[in-house]
Amino acid sequence: MKILLFLSLAVITISSCKKPTEVTNKVDSFEVLQKEVLSDLATNVNTASYIGLASKSDDLYNVVLAFNLNPSEQGLTEAKNIWKETRAIWEQSEGFLYGPVSSNNIDPQIDTWPVDYNALENVLNSSNTFSESEINALDDALKGFHPIEYLLFGQNGNKIYTDFTQRERDYLIALALNVKNLTNDLASSWDASISSNFVNHFKNPSTSNPIYSTNNLVYLEIVNALIGICDEVANGKIQEPFIAQNPLLEESPFAFNSITDFKNNMVSVQNVYLGRYNADGKGLEDLVRTYNLSLDNSIKAKISNAISSLDNINTSFGDAIINSPIQVQNAIDAINELKNELETGLLPFVQTYIK
Amino acid sequence: MRLLILFGILTLLITIGCKKAAVIEEVDEKDWYAGGSQTFFDQSGGAFANTFVGLTPTQEQIHSVGDKFFEASFVSSPSPINPGLGPLFNAVSCVSCHPSDGRNSAPAEGDNLHNLLLRISVSGESVHGGPLAIPNFGLQFQPRAIFGLTSEGNVNVNYSYIQGNFDDGEAYELRQPTFSILNSYMSFPSDAMVSPRLSRPVFGLGLLEAIPDWALLANQDLFDSNGDGISGKANSVWNVKDQKMSIGRFGWKAGSPTLLQQVGFAFSEDIGITNFLFPLENSYGQSQSVNSEKELSDSLIYSVTFYLKTLGVPAKRNISDSEVIRGKQIFTEASCVKCHTPKQKTAVNVAFKSISNQTIYPYTDLLLHDMGGGLADNRTEYLADGSEWRTPPLWGIGLTEVVNGHSNFLHDGRARNLTEAILWHGGEAANAKIYFRKLNASDRAALIKFLKSL
Repeated sequence: MKILLFLSLAVITISSCKKPTEVTNKVDSFEVLQKEVLSDLATNVNTASYIGLASKSDDLYNVVLAFNLNPSEQGLTEAKNIWKETRAIWEQSEGFLYGPVSSNNIDPQIDTWPVDYNALENVLNSSNTFSESEINALDDALKGFHPIEYLLFGQNGNKIYTDFTQRERDYLIALALNVKNLTNDLASSWDASISSNFVNHFKNPSTSNPIYSTNNLVYLEIVNALIGICDEVANGKIQEPFIAQNPLLEESPFAFNSITDFKNNMVSVQNVYLGRYNADGKGLEDLVRTYNLSLDNSIKAKISNAISSLDNINTSFGDAIINSPIQVQNAIDAINELKNELETGLLPFVQTYIK
Repeated sequence: MRLLILFGILTLLITIGCKKAAVIEEVDEKDWYAGGSQTFFDQSGGAFANTFVGLTPTQEQIHSVGDKFFEASFVSSPSPINPGLGPLFNAVSCVSCHPSDGRNSAPAEGDNLHNLLLRISVSGESVHGGPLAIPNFGLQFQPRAIFGLTSEGNVNVNYSYIQGNFDDGEAYELRQPTFSILNSYMSFPSDAMVSPRLSRPVFGLGLLEAIPDWALLANQDLFDSNGDGISGKANSVWNVKDQKMSIGRFGWKAGSPTLLQQVGFAFSEDIGITNFLFPLENSYGQSQSVNSEKELSDSLIYSVTFYLKTLGVPAKRNISDSEVIRGKQIFTEASCVKCHTPKQKTAVNVAFKSISNQTIYPYTDLLLHDMGGGLADNRTEYLADGSEWRTPPLWGIGLTEVVNGHSNFLHDGRARNLTEAILWHGGEAANAKIYFRKLNASDRAALIKFLKSL
């Protein structure tokens, strides 16, 4: 009996000796993982998206130039398609609207909404020459994606190539050039080879880092941005026109592109969570499943659910808010459920495990 | 014997109990809870954007409506969405000058001014003793107009640089901006008084508004009767809604008595959106004047005001760091605390408990002080003369770089960091600045670290 007691004591002693080492190893490797995720996110998601956006904006500018030289319905369709592709990358970057995109005021310059119709018509009817400096001097509501959308698709979304005046084409070229320049600036602002760039603060939290003194702060930034975009899509972009039953409040009405925009915003959340855009690296999922597999599964399920709830809306958003209210409400609910999981699951996870 | 043991245990308990209480009080002294019950332990880029806790669902709804319109871009009328911009304006939205509910950076050399505005007036007083509008220009210079109309002109900024040394020999450089009005649509009077104003963070304003008048007046020392070289004066300004004079609280010279009036004035002057407090377009009386109906509904102006009123305050950080503690000591010894009053109490308000009876740490007395010739704008605003400014709150100042990506401070953003901001202090704060210049490098660093903990 005494031997048994001794043995069990010995077992307890041994196992209690072993555990701390394991725990320490896990903590150490978790800290390494935190840095890897930041580095991978910066490179594979944030920077890669901005490089993709800049490159697609170059394409948009070139296709608009070509359309001007040789106006044709095919050329216009191509321009419309490239606009949608450019827009897709931008919307997929709205899950991380922190850093230079906001502090350098790039977001309002390329994505201000609503379009100022009166002023836009006044610009077209003026003798404005659409030089770079004149475009720069225009208000934000007269440049960026939505005025380009308005010019390409027309107020009712049914513009054909013969509808274009030379002034419209000139304005379009100047706006495309402006977006191209701004998105290229944005991509350079995440260029890690420039040591003073934000991305290097983002990847290397330290006490001497002026923006992020700890890993915890960077991860809070990342997670809060995800929560922010879910909130904006569910409770702003979708809910406001829906409650008002007013298609005029829709964000991307000329190209009937709003649902795609919303979906790409949710894809943005997914990209950050999985750590993949074109290349697949480490993402938030790798951190979460280290300690909480069920949270990881739940977040992934809710992201998929949010995306599929938008896929279930089979008509344009302006039409859906009137004629498919159940599908619209389901989308609002699914995105709010994701938001709630990020707030009550992911955020506390970051607070608990990432110092 | 048993009694003795019991007595012993009791004594021990009491001793422990006493000690604990002392520790708690020490933490309280360190003013961690900057915003009282509305303090948020958030040091992220969203640190200025936290909604009060404990709001009713209706209040949350009003807050979110206000939030939406704070961020909305306005466009020219008629428009189905957000109409009413201009005809003259400085900005198209609130958020364009208060990104992330924070402050803008200073304009770069040669910029056409978009992120900073100029208040203007001629000598004399309005009916209520306020600044006198410049004929054809008004009280604020608008360098932007809706497309097709002519703005009031352009504003150019140039910087000159001043070299100086701390007493230990370390060099510093200050930059001084000069604003010039170019291409004005009519001749701009050469004797006009011009005051540049950069935006300020907009959190915690409900709490500042809830500090009772008497508490502000109690800190006045109009004739410097204690002989410390610091006077402190409350501004007295026209309250448009109540049609009477009230104590000024908001704005760089405390020119607005209430948050509502500050919001109404900003909508009217900055964005060109008329409202029930300011029903006339800012271009009223000018050659391009457009008469328009009230462009912002009463419910919206109240919602935006409520939104600002219910943004909580970020908590202090690193309060137990020895360097921060040293810095705090220096902050007191240098008499910074005489104007940047750490602690205030809000009044009891049974109608709105979130702001009722809170001990807060805004680091301001909300009073006007002479800041010397270096900072003077030479423009009077009610009781504020050309070199007097309201003590700006310092809470959250250490998060400026995190929230807004820059560290430009003072009314025109001339200071590129906190050290420069201190070095610009003069007038009643001249002694504090001299004290700062005498400090050795490690004490200066400690003071800055303390400020960054706010």
